[in-house]
Amino acid sequence: MTLRYLVQPLWLLLLWLMLWGSVSAVVLIGGLAVVIAVRAAFRMPAVDLRVTLRPLRLIGLFWHLLIQLVSSATSVAWAAIRHGGHVPAAVMEVPLEEDSDVIIAATVFFTAMSPGSLVLEIDRERRVLYVHGLPAGTRAEAERRRRSVRQAERATVSALKEAPKEAPK
Amino acid sequence: MTALTNVVSSVLMLVGALFCLLAGVGVLRFPDAICRLHAAAKAQTLGVVLILLGTELQVSVKFAWALLLVAVFQLITVPVTGQVVGRTAYRTGEIYRPGLVMDELADRLAADARRESGEPAEPREDAQERGNG
Amino acid sequence: MNVVFALTLIMLSVSALLTLVRLVRGPSVLDRIVSLDVLVTLIVSALAVHVAANDAGRSVPLLLVLALLGFIGSVTAAHLVGEREDIR
Repeated sequence: MTLRYLVQPLWLLLLWLMLWGSVSAVVLIGGLAVVIAVRAAFRMPAVDLRVTLRPLRLIGLFWHLLIQLVSSATSVAWAAIRHGGHVPAAVMEVPLEEDSDVIIAATVFFTAMSPGSLVLEIDRERRVLYVHGLPAGTRAEAERRRRSVRQAERATVSALKEAPKEAPK
Repeated sequence: MTALTNVVSSVLMLVGALFCLLAGVGVLRFPDAICRLHAAAKAQTLGVVLILLGTELQVSVKFAWALLLVAVFQLITVPVTGQVVGRTAYRTGEIYRPGLVMDELADRLAADARRESGEPAEPREDAQERGNG
Repeated sequence: MNVVFALTLIMLSVSALLTLVRLVRGPSVLDRIVSLDVLVTLIVSALAVHVAANDAGRSVPLLLVLALLGFIGSVTAAHLVGEREDIR
């Protein structure tokens, strides 16, 4: 029984505790019962967790996320006031380097948070994202958005995956 | 409840409400569903998260965790809604083409359609190679 | 503090009004789904203000349920539109 199998039940238990907002024996035991029941009732597919968490980088990533969210909200709000109905947009193709479900999902998440981009379509087989950029008035601006998605992928990889040289063995 | 937490939570709430308001402007003014989705996904999400954080400072610890959960849910559902609605909008043609500077998904879909109908693939390929480099 | 709550609620109401206009105008189902999603989120925000103003911690589960329902609703509706239009 490795940690992999414990991630989901532990997360469910944490969720339950947060919902109750307190830790007492009744809540804890009730939570355990609910987790077991949920796990029995709904067979969830095992998540492909072949990634290594790096807590410090992850915290850095969340801080980055917060700043990104603020600046992206500002940019879209400004676009709403400045351009309104005539806002220029672009649909870009962004090829990904990684082939892991978790990393692609995280990249999609960070892309949705980063200023002016939203993932329209995920082509899992070809490992390509299609990103809608707004505002994107020129091709150069669209290229900049494309680069920022790539950067989001690299940041995710650096937080979730251990660099080969640091790996044990 | 000290004066400082009151000030901080007031600022959070007012800024949050301002972003909600601007999101409403965006939803009303943007030309197509996908652009409106941008307003919903970014400005609206930041607005509600800020208001929730402001509320967080005003309630007892017992309820603070559940409020935090609401904020987390708001955040993690954004890309999912964005992708599902965005994809459907694009595929049903709900996109304002005159506003587009470039559209590489259309190129790709056209190339796929050509390949399926057996015609040889052509010039588009080099454009995609450039994208990969 | 009451002034702050009032101002926040006013801004939220104006936003809800703008969103309602978009909801009525459409033109497509997807536009309406997006506006409904925003409207639900606005209701969540307004409820949060209510929780803060009246120290109504008991309404927090309501917030949670609304937030999740809004999400599931818009995703399901968008999915149905996709099915109906027979995409892929």
